[in-house]
Amino acid sequence: MELQRLRTVFRTALELPEDAEVESLEYRGIERWDSLAHMSLVAAIEDDFGVMLDTDEVIDLSSFDRARQILEKHGVVLTD
Amino acid sequence: MNSLLHPDAGLVDAATGRRLVGADLAARVADLAALLDAEPPGLVFATAATEIDAVLRLLAVWQANRPVALLDPQITPAVLGDLVDRFRPALLLNHPTPVDGFRPAAAGLGTAWRALAPDGGPLHPDLGLLLNTSGSTGNPKLVRLSRSAMHANAAAIATALGLDGDEVAPTTLPLHYAYGLSVLTSHLHVGATVLLERGGLTSRDFWTAAGRYGVTSLAAVPYQYEMLRRLRFAPARHPRLRTLTQAGGRLHPDLVADFHGRMAEVGGRFFVMYGQTEATARMTVLPADRLPEKLGSVGLPVPGGALSIRAEDGAETTTPDRVGEIVYRGPNVMMGYAETDADLARPDELGGVLATGDLGRLDADGFLFVTGRIKRIAKVFGVRVNLDDVERSLGHHGPVAAVAGADRLVVVVEGDDDPDRLARIRAEAASALGTHASGVQVRGVDALPLTPSGKPDYRVLEAQC
Repeated sequence: MELQRLRTVFRTALELPEDAEVESLEYRGIERWDSLAHMSLVAAIEDDFGVMLDTDEVIDLSSFDRARQILEKHGVVLTD
Repeated sequence: MNSLLHPDAGLVDAATGRRLVGADLAARVADLAALLDAEPPGLVFATAATEIDAVLRLLAVWQANRPVALLDPQITPAVLGDLVDRFRPALLLNHPTPVDGFRPAAAGLGTAWRALAPDGGPLHPDLGLLLNTSGSTGNPKLVRLSRSAMHANAAAIATALGLDGDEVAPTTLPLHYAYGLSVLTSHLHVGATVLLERGGLTSRDFWTAAGRYGVTSLAAVPYQYEMLRRLRFAPARHPRLRTLTQAGGRLHPDLVADFHGRMAEVGGRFFVMYGQTEATARMTVLPADRLPEKLGSVGLPVPGGALSIRAEDGAETTTPDRVGEIVYRGPNVMMGYAETDADLARPDELGGVLATGDLGRLDADGFLFVTGRIKRIAKVFGVRVNLDDVERSLGHHGPVAAVAGADRLVVVVEGDDDPDRLARIRAEAASALGTHASGVQVRGVDALPLTPSGKPDYRVLEAQC
């Protein structure tokens, strides 16, 4: 599956421009990624990739890379 | 004598692990109070982040019998400047940067600032706390609360929730927010421990600290219950955590039933509560064991409080199922509002009676059901308009808030400020109300001001009308 899809999910959930760089973002590192946006992001990832995250995964989903790793655990492998 | 601080009370700082309990805590607070005594007399402004030094200074202010206005740690310089101009504080505590007209206060008080020329007026001797009813945004009015109101409400909440010295409560809400502050005061009052934590429910640090320090309860507002659901909160994983409380607005009955079920399954308790800053914090608590039969109720008055319903003709009643304005009586009712420092000398103007501005009814057992808000009614050309209905009908335009202007409806929409878009919304709102477009004003904003519980801050919006 394409990594671009995860980038799009991040941009939509965090209300960022279409060309925004998301790989370097960290939870609470920018104003847009606050606890409310985090919940939208988690919901969007679950919906888009058809996975169900557990408590630890929701809390640990603190960067783009972590999101990618967590999805991999659920059998969703993303590549460019 | 500081009856807020029980001899066994404790504070733990989650970030540093620093812990102060009992006599050590009392001694530290007394030392800081002595430093405060040496500062010029007058009103204190304090922000209180949920970390131990800031909270120790706050407790010291009360120990020193000085009134304090508690402010949002994220307050903007403009809002702070306006408040300083109007309320003339003698001392600013926990403020990281210098402020015009102030110089550093005594070493030992942290980043504290003393007025170069203290010029505040006299303060009423009962005054203990000033709270803003809105979030980080400016608001013309502060709520004046007496020391005895704070103590009464802390004790009443502790009794209603059955708190004792074994409780460990984390800070899940800001301390300048009445509900958040009440968690601190009600637990310190019974000799319990308060865990000062900054990360919040969605941070790894929070849950690590909650486990390490054996947190026994969580206080949360509706949007945090949405988070807890998303986090798949399972009390079985937290064997010490057996109490949840909810306030800060209406929680959907499905979520009330859901969280009651999760807690009941492990022998825990879920409390729905109702309050206002104007009543220090809490007015009612729904006993957890009555929740299933009283789903949708906010419960019974806290000890020392009483409820009645005021009909449109002004007559008060406790007859079941009459809908009217909720009137609360109790020792925790505010002294009044303050707009400038001159108001800080004023005595109690309410006599313990608070007309809440909320609509509700009592059932045959005296349980309160909140049904709406009176002040969410505007008059447009003399005709009553339900502001919540207006918001719902315009919701497809994005985040929108409707407030009452002077005999007109004011609609504030987030997003594009394009005049054509605003004109379309105005025409649509007027047509839905069957009124002329001149009765509706539409404004665009980048972001609606929100209260700490995430609701549109109507008081701020009204003040801008």
